Parts: sequence; structure tokens; C-alpha cells
Amino acid sequence: MMLSIDKLRKTFPLEQGELVAIEEFTLKVDKGEFICILGPSGCGKTTILRIIAGLDNLSSGVISLNGKDIKGPGSDRGMVFQEFALFPWRSVRKNIEFGMELRKIPPKTRHEISQRLIELVGLEGFENAHPHELSGGMKQRVGIARALANEPEILLMDEPFGALDAQTRNLMQKELLRIWEETKKTVVFITHSVDEAVFLADRIVVMSERPSHITEIYEIPWKRPRDRSSMEFANLRKEILAKLEKMVKAD
Amino acid sequence: MVEMSKISKKLIAFLKPSDVSLKTDRRIQFVKTLVIAVISLSMFVMVWWGLSEWINTAFLPRPDIVFEAFIDSFQTADITTGRTMWDNIITSSIRVAWGFMLAFILAVPLGLMMGFSKTFESFSKPVVEVFRPIAPIAWAPLLLIAMGGIVGPIIVIFIGVFFPLLSNIIFGVRSIQPILIDAARTLGAKRSDMFIKVIIPSTVPYIMTGIRIGLGIGWMCVVAAEFLGAVGGGVGQYVQFKTEVNRFDQVFAGLIVFSILGLSTTELSGWVEKRVSKRMGLK
Repeated sequence: MMLSIDKLRKTFPLEQGELVAIEEFTLKVDKGEFICILGPSGCGKTTILRIIAGLDNLSSGVISLNGKDIKGPGSDRGMVFQEFALFPWRSVRKNIEFGMELRKIPPKTRHEISQRLIELVGLEGFENAHPHELSGGMKQRVGIARALANEPEILLMDEPFGALDAQTRNLMQKELLRIWEETKKTVVFITHSVDEAVFLADRIVVMSERPSHITEIYEIPWKRPRDRSSMEFANLRKEILAKLEKMVKAD
Repeated sequence: MVEMSKISKKLIAFLKPSDVSLKTDRRIQFVKTLVIAVISLSMFVMVWWGLSEWINTAFLPRPDIVFEAFIDSFQTADITTGRTMWDNIITSSIRVAWGFMLAFILAVPLGLMMGFSKTFESFSKPVVEVFRPIAPIAWAPLLLIAMGGIVGPIIVIFIGVFFPLLSNIIFGVRSIQPILIDAARTLGAKRSDMFIKVIIPSTVPYIMTGIRIGLGIGWMCVVAAEFLGAVGGGVGQYVQFKTEVNRFDQVFAGLIVFSILGLSTTELSGWVEKRVSKRMGLK
């Protein structure tokens, strides 16, 4: 087991009392596993990911990566953002090399690694383009390559394809699986799309609305690539959707 | 006649490129803007002309007389000072350049620090805010006496340029998208990395805006500084001398020079600003 989240609790102070955003969140993630965290918007999915990334603090509980407690951000966790968050003044290559520059990796090695990543995510020919010249899908390819460049233990993805159109989104899901299979990274992937989660995940963690906790975990042992038009795919999607709908109605 | 037809052919080719219609639209728009600008300026000159004939005072010379004085000021050296307008422009430009450079060297690091560190801002803001409301020109008489006719005007310009530049830089640092900070942190950026690799580059376009605004103000301050007894000429001094000897045609020539100088520096820095922002993919 590599990522361990034990009884995570996150509260925000209010004028009177406090707002409980996340309660009793416990999850173990194995090396190489692809986890999707699924839930209605405002359920604190992103907050969990930000806490794992070290960008936000937890109120109580323990998170550890390979037995080491997480305190603040670190290059052992790579993050991919919904809004891409690329540095607009840097070219594709320079964006990818950002983390390596910080780690003082010599330019030659840097170049070799970024070249490999550019090929991995399929951005050949765009090495010197700036983010504003790229489409959404290409921007997120840069985002993924940039996160991978630090050779992180785990890839944290916060609705990475949420800003893309449906076709690009499907394509990027396939691309991500290909990259995942090549790099064998552990992935924690936030989404509110049931379809996306069923297509990608080894396990789907379904969360409730605030104060959010895990309501169910689905294991999907099917091999990839998964067929969206298959019976089992449709059935599982229906089941999870029904569960989410009930949650929103109960509110 | 041959010349004319050549020009009109070129103009037609310019207006009607066979490729994209969008490009054509933009070219037509550009020519339209240009034509309107020419009409507007001609009308202005006509109104000026009429007004000077009607009022008939030495204080408002006719445009053609001013134009003549303008051309003459570049061609012949002034009898009393021995300087041509070129000399005066160079003197004033050097003053603006010095004042501007001093302001730039101080405002950039100070602005970056004030935008970046809350503690540093709390420390320096009170002092900055005390000085900010004072018009740079108000310092001029004192500075000219205290620091002389060479350094004094430079300091006046420095004060004028410093504050708009500083405000722009602080605003630039504050305007950075928080998600870029987050991204840099997850990639392992420490505080110093953040400052050098994220804050500074993202502030560059704002620094450029500050430069453009600052240069415009610099040209306004040099006038005041030169009025109050700068040493060694300058366009401001020229205007003042000419007012004293009632050569109002030359006064207006000096004013036109100021207009051209201010306009060309802001246009130039605006162009650079646009290029840099585009190159960096910002704004």
C-alpha cells in the first residue's frame, strides 16, 4: 500500500462554530492503482485532492505516502489541474521542465527527459509553442507531462478533462490510460462524471454531499479498453447514477 | 501624374488583397481610421486658424507662423542660447532618461517585494503613502535650490515616474492567478523559486504598463523642472525663455515638440508592451 488516508477530517471556521467539509475519510491506495473519486459538486472532492497534494491543511487525521506523513507540497506528488495552470510565459518544453529546473537537474538531462515526455503525451512539433497557442486537450497534455517530469510516486488529477468538449474528453481518457499503462503511476482522479469514472478506474470512491464521507466503493476488475456500449458498463453506470441522484434528492 | 497613378494602384492593392476577407475588413478599417484622423486634425488646424484671425492677439499666432517657427527652431541656433531645438530635445531626453532609470531601479525591486511580502508591505506602505499625494512639481523649487540645476530636475522626474511604476508593479504581483502559485508549489517551488520563476515573469507586462505611464509623466515633469531654473537648456527652458521675450510662435513650436516627444515615447513603449505581453502569452 502506498497512499494511506486515515480518518481525514476537514473543517472551515464560520462566524459561529465551524463547517464540516469532510468527515471520516479513510482510504488506502495501492501502488499502480487507478482510483476515481466521484461525487456531487461541492462535496469536497477537490479539497481532498488538495490536502493530499499538500496545498491545504487537514483538520485532523493522518495521510501518509509510503509510510511518510505528508506535510506540505512535494515533488513526490504530481498534480494536474482542471484549469491547466500552465505558465503562460513558458513554452511547452519549458513548462514541462519547470520542476526539473527547481531540482537543479542539468540542462542536458532535462532536455532528454522533456523530449521523452513530449513524445509520450504526443506533443511533437509543439515543443516551442506557448500555452495560448494550444487547444484545451493539448494544454492538458502539457499539464500531464509537466506533472510526470518530476517522476512523482502518485499523480493527482483534479477533474483534468472537465474543461474539454465531449470528443476531446473521450480521446484524452484513452490517452491517459495509455500513459498510465506505460508509466505505471498510481493515479487519484477526481471527477463528477460517472461515465468517466467507470471508463477509467480500478476502484470508484463515491462521496456524499457535505459533510462528505465515503458512501460506497466500487471495484471494477474489467480489463481495458472498456466498451462504453456494453451491457455491464451501462448497468454499472446506471447503478451509480441512481445512487448519486438519491443523495441529491435526500438533501 | 505617373506618380499619382502608381500610388493609387498601390492603395487599391493594399485595400483589396485577394486572400482573406477578414484581413481586407481590417485594412479598410485601418484606412478609415486614418482618414478620419486626418480630417479631425485638419479641422483642428482650421479652427485654430480661424480663432487666431478672429481674436487677433499675439498670444495665439496663426498655425502657419507656428509651423514656420517650428521648422526654423530645428534649423537655426537660438541667438541668446546658441542652441537648436535638437540640442534642447537631447538635453530634456537625457533628463527624462536619468529620472526614469532611477525610478525604475528603485520601483521594480520595491514593488515586487511589497507585492510579495505582507510584512515588507506593512513596513514600507506608510512611508510610500505619505509621499504619494505630493505632486512631483511641488518638490521642484526646493530640489533645484538644494541639488542644483542638473541633478534637481532629474530628481523631480524620478518622483513623478516612481509612484505610478510602483503601483503598477504591486498590482501586477497581486494579479497573479493563485492557481499558478499552487501549480508551482506542487512542482516543488520554494519561496525564492516562486519569486524568481513565477512572480517576476508574470509581473513583466505590468512593469511594461508602468514604464509607458511613467514615461508620459516623465515628460510632464521635465517641463516644470526646467521652468524653475535648470542648467543647460531643454525644451521646457526654451518655452519659458520664449514666453519672456514674447515670441509666442516659438512658444507654440516648443509645445508641439512636447506633444511629439510624449506621444512618440508612449506609442513606442506601448508597442513594446504589446509585443512582450504577446510573446509571453500574458494579458
